[in-house]
Amino acid sequence: MNQEIKVMVNGEKRKIEVKPTDILLDVLRNKLGLKSPKCGCGRGDCGTCTVLINGKSVKSCLVLGIEVDGQEVTTLEGLMDNGLLRVQEKMLEGNSFQCGFCAPGFIVMSHELLEENPGPTKEEIKEAMAGNLCRCTGYTPILEAIEKTCGCKE
Amino acid sequence: MGNLKYVGKSVVRQDGLEKITGAAQYVDDLDFGQHLLYAAIVESPHANAEILKINIKKAQGLEGVVRVVTGDEFPYRFGLYMHDRYIFAQQRVRFVGEQVAAVIARTPEIAYQAAKLVEVKYKVLKPVLSVHDALGVHQDFEVEKNNMIHPDLSEYKHVPWFFPKDKTNIAHFRKIRKGNMEEAFKSADHVFEDEYSVPRYAHCAIENHVAVGLLDHSKRLTLWTASQSPHTQRHLFAEALSPLGLTHKDIRVITPYVGGGFGGKAGVSMEILAAALATTVPGSPVKVLWNRSQEFVNTYQRQGVNAKIKVGVKNNGEIVALEQLLYWDAGAYVEYGANVVNAAGLSATGPYRIPNVKIDSVCVYTNLPPGGPYRGFGYSEFLFGLESHFNEIAKKLNIDPVEFREINAIKEGDELSYGAKMNPNGLMEAIEKVKKEIEWGKKDKSSDPNIKIGKGFSLFWKAPAMPPNASSTCFLKFNEDASINLLISGMEIGQGYFTVMGQIAAEVLQIPPEKIRCVTPDTDRNPYEWQTVASHITWSCGNAVKRAAEDARDQILEVVHRALNKKIEDLYLEDEAVKSKTERDFNLPLKDFVINGIGLKDGTFRGGPIVGRGMYMPEFSSALSNPETGQGGKPNVHYTVGAAACIIKIDKETGKVQVPKMVLAVDAGKALNPDLVKGQITGGLLQGLATVLYEDMRFDKNGKLLNSNFTDYKIPTTLDVPDEIVPIIIENPQSDGPFGARGIGEHTMIPVAPMIGNAIEDALGIRMRHMPLTAEKICMTQLTRRD
Amino acid sequence: MTIINDFDYVRPTNLKEVFKLLNQNKSAMLLAGGTDLIGNLKEEVIKPKLLIDIKNIKGLNKIKYAKNELLIGALVTFDDLIHSQVILNKCPVVMEMAKTVASKAIRNRATMVGNICSAVPCMDSGAILMVYDARIVISDGKNEWDEPVKKWFKGPRKTILKKNQMVMGIKLPIPKGDHSGVYMKLGRYKGEDLAQATCAVVLSKKEGIKISFGSVAPTPVRALSIEKFLKNNELNEQTVNEIKKLVEKEISPIDDIRASKEYRMHMVKIMLERSLVIAKERLVNPAPAYGISHL
Repeated sequence: MNQEIKVMVNGEKRKIEVKPTDILLDVLRNKLGLKSPKCGCGRGDCGTCTVLINGKSVKSCLVLGIEVDGQEVTTLEGLMDNGLLRVQEKMLEGNSFQCGFCAPGFIVMSHELLEENPGPTKEEIKEAMAGNLCRCTGYTPILEAIEKTCGCKE
Repeated sequence: MGNLKYVGKSVVRQDGLEKITGAAQYVDDLDFGQHLLYAAIVESPHANAEILKINIKKAQGLEGVVRVVTGDEFPYRFGLYMHDRYIFAQQRVRFVGEQVAAVIARTPEIAYQAAKLVEVKYKVLKPVLSVHDALGVHQDFEVEKNNMIHPDLSEYKHVPWFFPKDKTNIAHFRKIRKGNMEEAFKSADHVFEDEYSVPRYAHCAIENHVAVGLLDHSKRLTLWTASQSPHTQRHLFAEALSPLGLTHKDIRVITPYVGGGFGGKAGVSMEILAAALATTVPGSPVKVLWNRSQEFVNTYQRQGVNAKIKVGVKNNGEIVALEQLLYWDAGAYVEYGANVVNAAGLSATGPYRIPNVKIDSVCVYTNLPPGGPYRGFGYSEFLFGLESHFNEIAKKLNIDPVEFREINAIKEGDELSYGAKMNPNGLMEAIEKVKKEIEWGKKDKSSDPNIKIGKGFSLFWKAPAMPPNASSTCFLKFNEDASINLLISGMEIGQGYFTVMGQIAAEVLQIPPEKIRCVTPDTDRNPYEWQTVASHITWSCGNAVKRAAEDARDQILEVVHRALNKKIEDLYLEDEAVKSKTERDFNLPLKDFVINGIGLKDGTFRGGPIVGRGMYMPEFSSALSNPETGQGGKPNVHYTVGAAACIIKIDKETGKVQVPKMVLAVDAGKALNPDLVKGQITGGLLQGLATVLYEDMRFDKNGKLLNSNFTDYKIPTTLDVPDEIVPIIIENPQSDGPFGARGIGEHTMIPVAPMIGNAIEDALGIRMRHMPLTAEKICMTQLTRRD
Repeated sequence: MTIINDFDYVRPTNLKEVFKLLNQNKSAMLLAGGTDLIGNLKEEVIKPKLLIDIKNIKGLNKIKYAKNELLIGALVTFDDLIHSQVILNKCPVVMEMAKTVASKAIRNRATMVGNICSAVPCMDSGAILMVYDARIVISDGKNEWDEPVKKWFKGPRKTILKKNQMVMGIKLPIPKGDHSGVYMKLGRYKGEDLAQATCAVVLSKKEGIKISFGSVAPTPVRALSIEKFLKNNELNEQTVNEIKKLVEKEISPIDDIRASKEYRMHMVKIMLERSLVIAKERLVNPAPAYGISHL
């Protein structure tokens, strides 16, 4: 039942065995030890499992592990090779998170946004982050940190 | 209080770096090795049924199944304030989703598969799904024994301040009687009565409940839980499992970071399963992980309430009498929820001075999921009706609604409904500042004829609801470099508790907060804390930390005195060193001696590792009072008060509400970290906004929850935040608080529902009395009115 | 949440292999974005024995425009639609619709073809395809043919697609000359939600007006009676009430947890009225801009 797949995980070539039914999120957490993506709903509603496949954000609870055979997967752990991202620095300064459970998802999402669109408007930031739920902060401090990162005004 | 160096400053969160790097560990992030077992729960499909037979044979036969457990193995009841909850259902299920049995297996897949093979035969009974049905038709609420959800209610152990009613579905009947209602209503110029209702709500912390249990072969039981209450959990596990020979010292609860609580992770709910199941598989850890649907159904829900309010007023706006009858849909088990009912009953006057009061706050069993604590702890629920009703009264008296509030607002020293006196507070200042910020009285008009603009206002208050002797402790350990570990057992659930505790210790010891790390609780190691609930932790644990720091400071000064022959009264701490008022050059860095002591010329040393100890328990609080009147005790340590207002825009054709501005002023006593206080305001306002505009729990006619997911239980997203939020901090010190602080965490969500209701009324002239006030409801109410 | 029913998984690189597998395995299912499919696997709504991942099939991820017709390949995601210059130039209302689908990380995976194959009544694509008289390109490995979208939907979660067939793409005939479009979606709030009602309007100088509603009947509805009425009447204060009456004949919304039928009915009327106004404005002006919520 197990099949071997090859995945570029956070810049490192990895060979792992998966079952076709294994969910990517579980593969990342349990087989690769990458615990920053987390399960909040298991059905794509909350975004706390967000990772990048070939640079594009996905909800890893709605992807099979076996689907990423031959692909590049990046989690928050893999975005910090050169230290903290600017957006992380702003989030740290701004006390952007409270319980912190949603933080990895938000940071991965904001990274994708700023890669695709370095100068987003406030509305574009809100739209890009709308698939990530946070129950603690009321979002404002998260959004403000992203705005500060890209120097966006209106 | 002099100049403060660290307290009152918006320092960066102590847990900030861990959280933004994904390094912060939550229970499900911990590794338990390849021999971890997984449990799946067999749940009741019925809201009310007798369990006739459970057949576990097929499930047990599946390869990979380690153990199938039913209620037969754990015939025990437990609970926080009342022992009415079961580890597994015993002969009877009382809500859809209740745990009936469990399968422990090698993988989650096998566990779930096997759980489906457990055959349970039920005799289905008619469920009691509303307060109305549960209370029956008799004046005294007595019902036939077979209509009692807990026929053995009279035998249940409970705290002395609960008053269950025999032969009814009433688990607790909180009465407040003050003054003379009859006379007061007679003397009133007007009496206004109305009814309001608030449905059930879910906490929706993004982390689901999870617990891992391990009983080792020496019979030590360790639990890793996502919890707000490690010590209380240990106590309840020890109580519930005492028949197995487990005692407090044998039980250890470890709680890493928790992904949001909001009350939902207080006390013990599903964690009892991990504790119990672990005892059936000695030597192997077993994980119970709730999925989102179970999270909605089988933890705690915010209770629904029906309120009947009757108010007598004078023509000048003075309130002479208030009658609040609150009937709570508390669900199948009320071991925690009954105290929500109690807290609301004590304070259902709101922050108002009312001479004559009658309150009935009635905790009613129903066949819906267990009710329990949720940010606001009953206050959000009763305040919706009260603050809505006060607006209606003001309108009928032709008095400005804010002026009406100013006339009646409670002041320091005023008598509370249970006879004690109100603490110092900045309620009037809050009203004044909010009024100014929201430009109260200035009417805005939209150029779009479909858009109507309204403003709403509400006051709020809340006291910590806790046993009179709830306590906090702290051990403060110095390290070699004079950095500090604070061992405390409150939970960093996001509010910023660790940061603020660090600031308190930093201030006393004059060590920068960056050099202080709080240690997540482990009941073997960290000292006692009651629970991280009730917005009491800043105040209560803050006092304990302050005392621990003072204890450490005293030890430091004493050893300097003893080793170097300095006068203690000359010594003080500054810049991580001991200095002297009389010797300018004396500067002894703490790092030189806080572990290894001070060396003397003869090669001996004085002192040794500095470990501070601090404890706080309020010694003035009492929950004892006359059961018929509620008079006599001091059940609440103090109230935190404030005011809030909003501007909304409603599209009258669609009912859609937009929120251009919200303002909230809260009297924090002393904001130990203003940025974190603002964080609570921003977060609480949106959580409150969601309860009034979007969320509610919907059950079908058999008591099954229909929206146990985020697809249909709509918590707000980034696109749903108000355009502008103005947080206002007011500081009237709390004399017994650390640096004058009192809690503000829950309060920020409490006023939102009524202020939105009041703004809708202001914009459209319609009073909506039944939450939530969704776009659809606003729109359809408008349409039917037009017809 | 785990998947408890086993299945096999293959990712062929050519269509021949796909059809061979489809023919050999009655309970095979095709996997593209998987955002619906994997949720359904977890909740045991479906229990296929084989998943055929088509993401390695070349050429299916293209958006092409030729001869007044747009072809949206089976692997084109909603995010592709949002960022496509061709879409922006030829039919920006498709972008307007795509922006309302779920959230960014879902749109990065979810395909329009997958959306119409799932065919849940609250789908976002349905009404848009109806107003463009889209055609669904179907293949059984031997032949490839088009079916008009109005024939495609058979009911909730039901389409005409047979087990051994696959949708290759969707063709959108673009009206000749200038045209404008509007898409409106009713959700419970501004954030991600499944549609409680959708309304799509396409207005072209040459071909007149086309109107469709989604999520208010078992399948998307083309409002022919209203289109006919508007051929001979302008939208104004008098005619708006007649149009609203016609709406009642065209749709049959239901009560569910998301909205009542009365609210849906009322809102479709409001959405249509507002859509007609905006469509007209867009035909002459660049404003109101596409892709911004109008509700």
